[in-house]
Amino acid sequence: MGSVTRDEAGWRFLGYSFVLLVTLLMIVPIYWIVVASTLPEQAFLSAGTDVRLLPGSNFLANLDALQARESVDFVQSIWNSVFIAVVYTLLSLVLCSMGGFAFAKYEFKFKEPIFYSILATLTLPIQLLVIPLFLLVSQMGLSNSYWAIILPWAANPLGIFLMRQNMKQIPDALLESARIDGATEFQLYYRIALPTMKSSLAALAIVLFLFQWNLFLFPLVVLEQGKYTIPVAINELIGAQRVYYDQIMVAAALSIIPLFLVFLFLQRHFVSGILAGSVKE
Amino acid sequence: MSTKSSNPVRDKFNAVRERAGRAVEPAWQSAMDTVRPLRQRQIRRTRAMADRLPFTVAVPYLFLTPFFVLFSVFLLFPILYTVYLSFHTYEGIGTATLFWIDIGPIQYRLTRIAQLEFVGLQNYQRLLGDALFQNALANTTFILLVQVPLMIVLGLALALALNASWLRFKGLFRTTIALPVAANLVAYATVFLLLLQDNGLVNTVFQMVGLPAVPWLTGGTGLLPGPLKSVLGTGFWPRISLVGAVTWRWTGYNMIILLAGLQSVPKQLYEAAEIDGANRWEKFRYVTLPQLRPVLLFVVVTSTIGTFRLFSEPLIISEGGAPLSATRTLVMYIYNMAFQQFQLGYASAMTVVLVGIVAVLSIVQLRVGGESDG
Repeated sequence: MGSVTRDEAGWRFLGYSFVLLVTLLMIVPIYWIVVASTLPEQAFLSAGTDVRLLPGSNFLANLDALQARESVDFVQSIWNSVFIAVVYTLLSLVLCSMGGFAFAKYEFKFKEPIFYSILATLTLPIQLLVIPLFLLVSQMGLSNSYWAIILPWAANPLGIFLMRQNMKQIPDALLESARIDGATEFQLYYRIALPTMKSSLAALAIVLFLFQWNLFLFPLVVLEQGKYTIPVAINELIGAQRVYYDQIMVAAALSIIPLFLVFLFLQRHFVSGILAGSVKE
Repeated sequence: MSTKSSNPVRDKFNAVRERAGRAVEPAWQSAMDTVRPLRQRQIRRTRAMADRLPFTVAVPYLFLTPFFVLFSVFLLFPILYTVYLSFHTYEGIGTATLFWIDIGPIQYRLTRIAQLEFVGLQNYQRLLGDALFQNALANTTFILLVQVPLMIVLGLALALALNASWLRFKGLFRTTIALPVAANLVAYATVFLLLLQDNGLVNTVFQMVGLPAVPWLTGGTGLLPGPLKSVLGTGFWPRISLVGAVTWRWTGYNMIILLAGLQSVPKQLYEAAEIDGANRWEKFRYVTLPQLRPVLLFVVVTSTIGTFRLFSEPLIISEGGAPLSATRTLVMYIYNMAFQQFQLGYASAMTVVLVGIVAVLSIVQLRVGGESDG
């Protein structure tokens, strides 16, 4: 560590303050969810009179209330969400990276029209496809199966766009020299494109996982009890007569955990992706 | 620096990079080393054969096929079906229920398609005179103009700070800031509903530090300076709440993508710029921004699309008492039309128009972003 100039110290102070402030703003609602999940409903519904900022001891009671519900098996819905999101992410990563490789590194007929027609669907609000998709999925006999949620967006236009943008950075000379070394075209993809794109793949994996994790309307239409994902299960707690805030808070607090694990896991890959690019001989 | 290897092409490639002042990327080298060299004659024979086969022409198509099959079945077909529907009227008077949607107090019920009648462009003509559609378009535009720039600037600033070598606890900050995307859609909208009540936590804190209570959800132009009142109209605060909620949720997500982009900028470029005497701003302007352009463009386009997709948040916030005319988004209006009024044809026509608007916007953004490539 060398000495830090005055100017530099100012920047660092500014940077830390900014990051800390934003972190605080981001954490407050989440902290609130966690705190609320440990309080009886009356204690957090009207904060105006007496604000409770510390956790209470009602978590297990709230959880019991959630577990006791006939209509929702919340533990099962966490498993459903995790399974669907993981399978979806893996499948979509393969499809998008292969397609992105084709668009970035090959010349072929109708390349531009195909790419732009895929790109154009990026602009589509997916909620609006609920009706035709529902008809399609039930025609295929897929309703109330995991595949009804996994397949429709596995060919993710967002993913192929991101992959194409990133794979353009792989130099052609590198692929050409590997070809001369006798690599097959699939090996170029598998042995060169994928390893060098590790950090992009990790970023895309987060994107895909979140996309699937947050899907709400289509699962709501297609899935039935027992196959519910977390958003659908939580929606069950908002009744026409009464909103079960305490149970929603418990469910929300629990639903954050798997996502937290995904972040922690993929961050390691971010880091290794960075190191691979910066280590010098 | 680099040792002679058995591969002349790679040597040449490295030599060119060295001359250009750019270091050889070791990641690529190791990737290349895993591709085992074959004997020269065998290679020549294989390649001569491969050039003659139609198979080699098919290679890019083979890479693309798995994607394209699913894409055609699950995206292209439904889209075309929507376009088809937009030229028809649909009477949902059948008896069999197709499906129920039950979002809290709101229930939709779609009955079997009973009749489809061709009406040509009638649905599109109706659109021109629909005040509610124009209102929804105006709301969406307002949110777009405030929310997207705010979120991108915030996300970029965060990514830059988190990419600085001196910042500690990076992983912790990154995870915490990105955590809101993990919050479930329904749950987080409910939480904001609670936090933003007139006597909710936010206003409680505001009053503690001496600020006035803000009518976050119930609207009104209170607290705004005079001339702004007539311009922004009622429902200013609910829109701001919506902007705040969406920004809270998605900033960390954009930050992660931008951070991944920043980390793929070669360090040598900064070193070279430093040798040339570039200051902080110049390094940002001439190294970071150009290198980041594809990622930045991606973030801008997807955020724009995301704003046009807003549905659950305004729905739940307007449940909290916000005037519907202030927060009704396009997708919300289309959804009401499709599932409450059962006018599938008209809803489809609006969908087509909405997609057209977003497509034009995206193309403009891509053009503008791509052109300044130099």
